[in-house]
Amino acid sequence: MSKVLEIKDLRYKKNHKVILDKVNLSLDNGKIVGLLGANGAGKTTLMRLIVGLNSKTSGQITVAGVESKEAIKSCVSTTYSLKSAFKDVFANSWLERTRIKDIVKFYQTVYPDFSLDKYQEMADFLALDSRQNLKNLSTGETEKLTIALTLARQVQLYLLDEPLNGIDIMTRKKIIKSIIQWKNEEATMIISSHYVKEIAALLDDVIIIKDQTIYEVDSVEEIQNKYHLGVEAYYEQVYGGGSADE
Amino acid sequence: MEYIDSIPIYLQIKDILYRKIISNEYELGSQLPSVRQLAVQFSANTNTVQKSLKEMMEEKVIIPQRGKGNFVTEDEQIINKLRSHIVNEMFDATYDKLHSLNMNDQEIIDSFKNYVKQRDEGDE
Repeated sequence: MSKVLEIKDLRYKKNHKVILDKVNLSLDNGKIVGLLGANGAGKTTLMRLIVGLNSKTSGQITVAGVESKEAIKSCVSTTYSLKSAFKDVFANSWLERTRIKDIVKFYQTVYPDFSLDKYQEMADFLALDSRQNLKNLSTGETEKLTIALTLARQVQLYLLDEPLNGIDIMTRKKIIKSIIQWKNEEATMIISSHYVKEIAALLDDVIIIKDQTIYEVDSVEEIQNKYHLGVEAYYEQVYGGGSADE
Repeated sequence: MEYIDSIPIYLQIKDILYRKIISNEYELGSQLPSVRQLAVQFSANTNTVQKSLKEMMEEKVIIPQRGKGNFVTEDEQIINKLRSHIVNEMFDATYDKLHSLNMNDQEIIDSFKNYVKQRDEGDE
């Protein structure tokens, strides 16, 4: 298996404060990986560093063998693109009269790897109405749209930051099913979520971030075999009773 | 899909599929859904489902056919063995619990017969 993501000695400081340090990570193709960590642990920061939205202080990030920020952008699909698109391109007055189909067209223009067929299948499954106005979307609908747009790009690495936040359980289940249905077999996906229990069956591996670095990378199965614990219980133990390793 | 947290998910999925096979929901010789379909159905990772299927192949309960997918074996003996294995597993826990109540084998058998009889009457 080839590596889709490689991070070496990554360090990130903000206002003289170390946010992430000594981060080393190597991910294979074809995996779904959970990124776990308390609020403020640096999950979002790590994802933003991978895609180049934040600039690393030092270290090396390689995605599918490429290192330049521009090259990385073309092989990573993130849920941030939409959120920044909302802010920049579709600022205020635009948002007023922009429909889902407009932003789909925008994605088609901006990303040559965008598959309209795939988007349409997902939109049908998630019951997204393309005529709907963006400003009228509920939290759940916005998240569904974000997932459909992010997964419709055919890339090697997907970064989903909290795709289940603020969403009712039925919609969470639908989003999980659509991830399973539409993720390319070869692609790798990193998902951060606080719904550890709900996504456990979706994951191959988990990355736990703690104390400004990657505390552990392990497969879900290893955790169950080694500790006889579910991922959630293990994660709580790492954070709660974690003085043994210090 | 509700899983038990501490047990590997591929084992739990294998167990569910085995029960579907011995209950004839998936008939002898019939084709199983694709890995992706099963993964969606079980809300689980495709690699996990693949692992369940791999063990089922090793245990000869399902047979892969190139380019077609996976089929339930037509060998009734294998299914019967699987059934008695699963039934035994279910009895194991109960038998141990009854034994711990200081019941001997005959008392356990008698009380089980009695239980079945009462249930049958209750159904009518």
